[in-house]
Formats: sequence, structure tokens, C-alpha cells
Amino acid sequence: MEKVLEVKNLRIYYELPQGIVRAVDGVDFEVYKGEILGIAGESGSGKSTLALAVAGLLRPPAKVVSGEVLFMGTNLLSLTEEELRRIRGKRISMIFQDPSTYLNPVYTSGFQVAEVYEAHRGGSWRRYVGDVVKLFRMVKIADPERRVNAYPHQMSGGMKQRVLISMAIAEKPELIIADEPTSALDVTIQAEIVELLNEIRKETGSAIIFITHDLALLLEIADRIMIMYAGKIAEIGRAEEIAKDPLHPYTKALLSSLQYERKKRLQAIPGSIPSLISPPPGCRFHPRCPLAFDICSKKDPQLYRVGGRVVSCFLYGGDHGGSA
Amino acid sequence: MSLARYVGIRVAQAIPTLVGAMLVMFVLVRILPGDPARLIAGPEALEQDVQRIREQLGLNKPLYLQFVDYMSSILRGDFGTSIKYRTPVIDEIMARLPYTITLALAAEAIAVAIALPLGIYSAIKPRSKASYIASVLSLVGASTPIFWIGLIFIYVFAVSLRILPSSGADTPRHIILPAVTLALLLMGNLTRITRAAVMEALGSNHVLTAISKGLGSRVILVRHVLRNAMIPIITIMGIQVGALLGGAVITETVFAWPGIGSLLIDSLFYRDYPLAQGIILFIVFVFIVINIITDILYAYIDPRVREVLWRAGRS
Ligand SMILES: Nc1ncnc2c1ncn2[C@@H]1O[C@H](COP(=O)(O)OP(=O)(O)OP(=O)(O)O)[C@@H](O)[C@H]1O
Ligand SMILES: [Mg+2]
Repeated sequence: MEKVLEVKNLRIYYELPQGIVRAVDGVDFEVYKGEILGIAGESGSGKSTLALAVAGLLRPPAKVVSGEVLFMGTNLLSLTEEELRRIRGKRISMIFQDPSTYLNPVYTSGFQVAEVYEAHRGGSWRRYVGDVVKLFRMVKIADPERRVNAYPHQMSGGMKQRVLISMAIAEKPELIIADEPTSALDVTIQAEIVELLNEIRKETGSAIIFITHDLALLLEIADRIMIMYAGKIAEIGRAEEIAKDPLHPYTKALLSSLQYERKKRLQAIPGSIPSLISPPPGCRFHPRCPLAFDICSKKDPQLYRVGGRVVSCFLYGGDHGGSA
Repeated sequence: MSLARYVGIRVAQAIPTLVGAMLVMFVLVRILPGDPARLIAGPEALEQDVQRIREQLGLNKPLYLQFVDYMSSILRGDFGTSIKYRTPVIDEIMARLPYTITLALAAEAIAVAIALPLGIYSAIKPRSKASYIASVLSLVGASTPIFWIGLIFIYVFAVSLRILPSSGADTPRHIILPAVTLALLLMGNLTRITRAAVMEALGSNHVLTAISKGLGSRVILVRHVLRNAMIPIITIMGIQVGALLGGAVITETVFAWPGIGSLLIDSLFYRDYPLAQGIILFIVFVFIVINIITDILYAYIDPRVREVLWRAGRS
């Protein structure tokens, strides 16, 4: 399979007066052509920070401390601003969480989508109105000829998200990053948007990184799933494998909390995500881990390969003896 | 709804404001101690002469009748006759108005030319020297009384350095000190609001979308930052017209600039009721007109406002 993206040992810290937030702390993974990679994890585990880094959209106080983000073999972190600009929106695009604040209230939706073409093909945005109507039809916006002239406040949340999606697919990018694209929307509309992204993937061949809190959703739509915990990867594997046989204790806990949820007895994992300014020593999950043993508080687990999967837990590799 | 109709509605809505303002100033002007009839007649005049003048001016009637008379003559387009100059009030105002307009426009131009670039730049580069200058300017502008700035300017540039004239309006150079003084009054707030508005727009999520589309930084700045930031900036400029008019009264007095501001102070000293009333009425009117213009600009920039106006205009 062709690799679209390869992230190596990526660390992104926010340098704040209160201390350094290790939001993404040594992350390695790949994304292959045409697949959906789901990323799940509790709030604050670094998902959005990672997404912004891959899309080349990090802003201060975020700082890349180490690592590489190889997109089709080129390290995005070493490109100039102009080189990045030519990639953004054309070869890598981003769909954000809250459609209402990610559109500019003072311009029509059609104009804002046409700007993508203007940025990469030149000429006046007016030349692209016809293309935008086609895009709107593709993302199933009713009455597209009229909607291109509508302002964001005249549209529903679901429709605004469709506008943002049409922006993201305009240039048929190799990689689309969707950071919680449905969590601000009604449940019924969520399903439609997910279905739409899936269709688009088939049509354009784009790879999609789909970020969400909703592991159940990922189990349905993702090809592979990456579980993040406190700035690190807990586990990566095929969706069926993760569902059937989770390896990492954190993944197990997430899945069993899903089952509890189905029985309407909401049961979260005891404890909470640690401070990323002074994370616990050793494995960051060990204070909450029911299976922790002595080495877990002393050494940082590596990413161990188990079959086709990757897991960061001493149960599956490293020095089992426990000598620190 | 047409623009003309909207303006018509706004003007109609402004009528109660105008009448209220007139009533307040009508009473205030008359509360001032001193009697115009006696001022006209002179210190040695007989009581019966004073009384005769009072009757001529209509000042012997009860206050409410005077007000009714005043209102009805205004409706006929007659703003009265100046007690001091014995000419129609409207002629006096029109003769002095060009000076005030020139001064106000010059001050506004200076303020905008400095405050907008400074505010924008210091928002984009918050750690730069410009940003520091902007902070100092905001502080000085907000905390220093305008007459004091004016007096300092006169002392430094006219008395000590002798490079600029301090009073009158004889040459184009005469406008420099009063215009800069008045501009300083506006600049502090304008810089501060501009910086805050641009910073807020820069940090907004739709700018992230603009970056993620691959737009160039200049396009993003102009389309997605400045255009949005213009909304609060225009609002503050509209509000500042009040400060501008009030400041013009003081500045014109300090620099003996022959506009309607100094005319107003003169007329109050002379207890020239019709003239003072005419000027205040005029200032209130200008204020209302500027407010309407601000709202229209606002609607031009922001489609959400446009829609609200449209709906308001229909009902
Ligand atoms: N702009 C910022 N400045 C400072 N700290 C930040 C910033 N953005 C994120 N962080 C911190 O970085 C850590 C990771 O945040 P991030 O938003 O990447 O998590 P997330 O997994 O996307 O969470 P959520 O599910 O709530 O969206 C958190 O501790 C957060 O407080
Ligand atoms: Mg997030």
C-alpha cells in the first residue's frame, strides 16, 4: 500500500507561562492511500494538536520539538511558508469541529468555497462559481444555485458543515483531516455527514484521518484505529481487531465503557487524564491501569509490534522482568 | 426595502431625540445666571429700557411659551436672530461651519492615518516597538485632558520654539496645532480598539479555515481579518464623533479657531440664547446623521446586520 503520510517521533509542546504542555509526545504512525484512519482518545489527549501539525496549521504557543511529518515523502516541517501554502487546501485539507465559527460570517458560502480554487488556480473567484455549484451538489446541499449566495447565518449547522466539506474536497486532496466533524451536529445529521465522507473517499481516493471521541462510530467507519492517551499512542490496529481483541488496557477500558453505555449505565474509566505539564513517570496510563505492575511507573513503554498491530504497553514487549 | 426608506425611518425615529435635546438645552441655557437684556442695554441702562428689550426678545413670557414659540419658528425654518450679532442664527452658523468641518476632518484624517496602521501593525506584531508606542498612545489619549494638551502644544511650538502659530485661522499653518490636539483625543481609543479588533479577528476560527485553504497571507489579512475587524472600528469611529464635536468646542476655544465651537462658547458668555440654541441643535443633528451613516456602513460590511435592518424597515 502506498503511504500518504508518515509521522515519525513527533513532539509538539505548548510553551506556556505555567509550564510546558507536552500535548503530543513522541508519536509514530502512517496513513495509507484511500483509507480512513480513525483517531480516538479522551479530551486533552492531543488529537487536535496532532491534526493541526499534520495540516501545517500550528500557531504559537505550539512548537514542534522533534520529529518529521512526511507527506508523500516530503517533510512538511522543513518547508517554507509558500511551499506549505501550495499544499494546504490542494493536497491536504482540514475539516474542523464547529462549522459555525469556521466560516467567515461576512462572505457568502459560495465565495468562501471558490477561494480554494482562487488560491490554487488563480483568477477571480467568479470564474469558479459553476464549480462550486457542482461541489454543493456533490455534498448534497439542496438548491445549490441559490445556496452559493447564502451567508453562513442563513444556513443550518449541518449545511455549514457541508460547505466546509465541499471546501475540503474541492481540489481532491490526497489527505483530508476531519477533526470531530460531527460532534457539534444533531445525531441524524452526524450519520449523514459520516456517510458523505465515506462516499467522497470512494470517489476521490483521498485518505481521511477521522478524529472523534466516539469509538463506536470509528469501529463502524474506520479501516484502522489509533488510540491516543495523554499525548502518546496507546494502540494502532485494524478496526475489526481492535473491536474483537483490544490489547492495551486503555483500549479495553474504552471498549467496556462503550458496552456499559449501551446498557444505559454510564461508566467512565476511573480517574482522569493526567496533567500534560507534569505527566506521571513511566507509562502515562499506569495510575489508572488495573493491570499495572512495577515497571510501568518506572519506564516509558516503546511501541511494540504484535502481529499487524502496534501497542505501547509492557504486557506485550520490553523487559518483562521488571528491572528498571 | 430601499436605502432611502431606511434613512427616512431613522430620521423619523430621531425626531423625539432632537426635541428632547432641544428641551434640555433650552432650559440649561436659561439656568445660566445673567440676563441678556441687561447685557444688551449696558450696565448704566434704566430698568424700563431693560424691560423693553426683554419684551422685544420675548424673554418676559413664561418659559414653556418661549419654548413653544421657538419650536414653531424652527418648524417654519427660522432659527431666530442672534442677540449679539443681530443677524440670523443660521447665517452665523453657516459662516463659521467651514472652519469646524475643516478642523474636524483634518483631526479625523490625522487620527485615522496614524491609529489604524499602528493598531493593525501592533496586533500583527504584538511584541514590536510599534505595539509599545500604541500602548503609550492609548494611555496618554485616554488620560490627558484636551485643553492641557493644547496648552502644552502652544507653549512648546508657539512660545518656546516659535515655529507654529498658536491662534486664529489666517494661514494654512494655523490648523496644525488644533488639528493635532484634537487628533490626539481620538487616536488613543482608536488605536486601542483597532488593535483589539484585529487581534480578535486574527485569532478567530475562520482565519484558520482561510489558512487551511491555501490563501496567501496578504489576502487573509485584507479579506478575513481587516474586513471583520472593521465592524468594531467603525462603531468606535461613530461614537467618537461625539468626542470630536465636544473636543472641537474646547480646541477651538484654546486656539481661537473661528469655528462653531468657539462661537458656542462666545454665545454662552454673551447669553445669546438663540445663537447658543441654534448651535447646540445643529451639533445634535450632526451627531444623529453620523449615527445613521455609521449604521449603514455597518450593514454594508456585515450581512447579519443588513438582514436585521431589512426586517426592521419592513415592519
Ligand atoms: N492553543 C493552546 N495553548 C495552550 N495549550 C493548548 C492549546 N491547545 C491545546 N492545548 C493543550 O494541549 C493538550 C492537548 O489538547 P488538544 O486540543 O490537542 O486535545 P484533544 O485531544 O483534541 O482534545 P479534545 O478532544 O477536547 O478536542 C491539552 O492539555 C490542551 O490544554
Ligand atoms: Mg480536539
